Amino acid sequence: MSGLIDYQGIKISLSGKLILDIDHLAVKAHQCTLVTGQNGSGKTTLFKIMSGLLRPDSIQVDYQGLQMSWKQAKPLLQRDIIYLHQQPYLFDASVADNVAYGLYRRGESKNSVQKKVCQALDWANLSHLAQRHAKQLSGGEKQRVALTRARILAPSLLLLDEPTASMDNEAKQQTAHLLQRLKEEGVCVVISSHESHTVDHLADHHLCIEHGKITVIEPVKKSAKVAVLNHAKNTL
Amino acid sequence: MSDIKQASIAAFELLLSGDQTIWEIISLSFSVSLSAIAIASPLALILAFFLAFFQFPLRRALIALFNTFMSVPAVVIGLTLYLLLSRSGPLGELKLLFTDKAMIIGQILLSFPLLVAMAHAAFQAADRRAWETAITLGAKPWRAFFTLMFEVRFGLIAAVVAGFGRVIAEIGCSMMVGGNILHATRNIPTAIALETSKGEFAQGIALGVVLLIMSLSLNAGISLFQGKGELRT
Repeated sequence: MSGLIDYQGIKISLSGKLILDIDHLAVKAHQCTLVTGQNGSGKTTLFKIMSGLLRPDSIQVDYQGLQMSWKQAKPLLQRDIIYLHQQPYLFDASVADNVAYGLYRRGESKNSVQKKVCQALDWANLSHLAQRHAKQLSGGEKQRVALTRARILAPSLLLLDEPTASMDNEAKQQTAHLLQRLKEEGVCVVISSHESHTVDHLADHHLCIEHGKITVIEPVKKSAKVAVLNHAKNTL
Repeated sequence: MSDIKQASIAAFELLLSGDQTIWEIISLSFSVSLSAIAIASPLALILAFFLAFFQFPLRRALIALFNTFMSVPAVVIGLTLYLLLSRSGPLGELKLLFTDKAMIIGQILLSFPLLVAMAHAAFQAADRRAWETAITLGAKPWRAFFTLMFEVRFGLIAAVVAGFGRVIAEIGCSMMVGGNILHATRNIPTAIALETSKGEFAQGIALGVVLLIMSLSLNAGISLFQGKGELRT
């Protein structure tokens, strides 16, 4: 499996305390990586750096065959990688307008945007919510709208921060189902989670962060995935 | 009591008869204050955004400075500007003293700290995820800024309206740098002060009524706008 993006020497300190210190992190194309770690271990900070939203103290990025500094990599990371917050932010507008936001930023025509938004909402079974105001949605619906809004832009990498946290079982199941379909489409996804069993079965690789350092990188065994999947089915 | 009644009736007659002088004063007042707010607002909003979203040296000092300048009396701004624009002052050659341009400059200086402080509070209350979401979805920073402005529009509109309210009713600065010249720099507050000092209450009441109606309309407009927002959230 070919490498999509390599991050080297990620370091960031806040108020004099070293928050992240990662020598090397490689993301492979079309793969799903699960990042685990306790609250405060640095998962969100890592995702924000990976997506170009947070400037680290030091980093080297190897992307599209080029070694880049932060300054060179930042616009490319912001263009090609989408980060979804634990509780996604939806703009004060309708669901359809939210999904259309990124397409308009790319300068697409109104007709093209409308067509793509219809298809995307249909894909996520959200067509009935198209004209609903985004602030009125439930947590699960917001997460699915945010996933649809990200998918429509066909990002190189999708970073999902605790995508099923604080959801009821039905919403978790629906979100996990969408994630499964994203994976089947070949979208490269990195998911952070401290809740096992909900999204574990999607992962090809498992990566653990403790106190800002990667402690475990391992491929997920198929037998383990089946066991987790069975457990998830029984739970749900 | 009957004097007040008579003056009030005369005031409404003045307004309804389309008295040229009174409508000229009203027109100048609005044109000066709207110009000042239109010039001050964009810069104030951008500065407020930077103060709320980015860390840089002297940031806290700047916030404290704007909060302090918010309560500086208009007459002090007027005096400072008068000294700068007077013939012997450093900007005397511009010959702006006792012109409507000087009044606009004065009102910009008056409204700017209030606009920055209130817009800063609105941006600070904004959800940081809004900015990050806009950027991660491919918006350029200036476009993400407009998105964020839309998300906090109620707070920003309140800031602009408060700024306008401060300058349309101020008298100290306009009197000092405008000079209260009829057909040139006489605005509503300076006209009210002059007519009252002459014992001519009708024109003062008429202009006061205009300010009151404007204030009521602005507040009603904001309430209606904010009410619509609340319904949707």
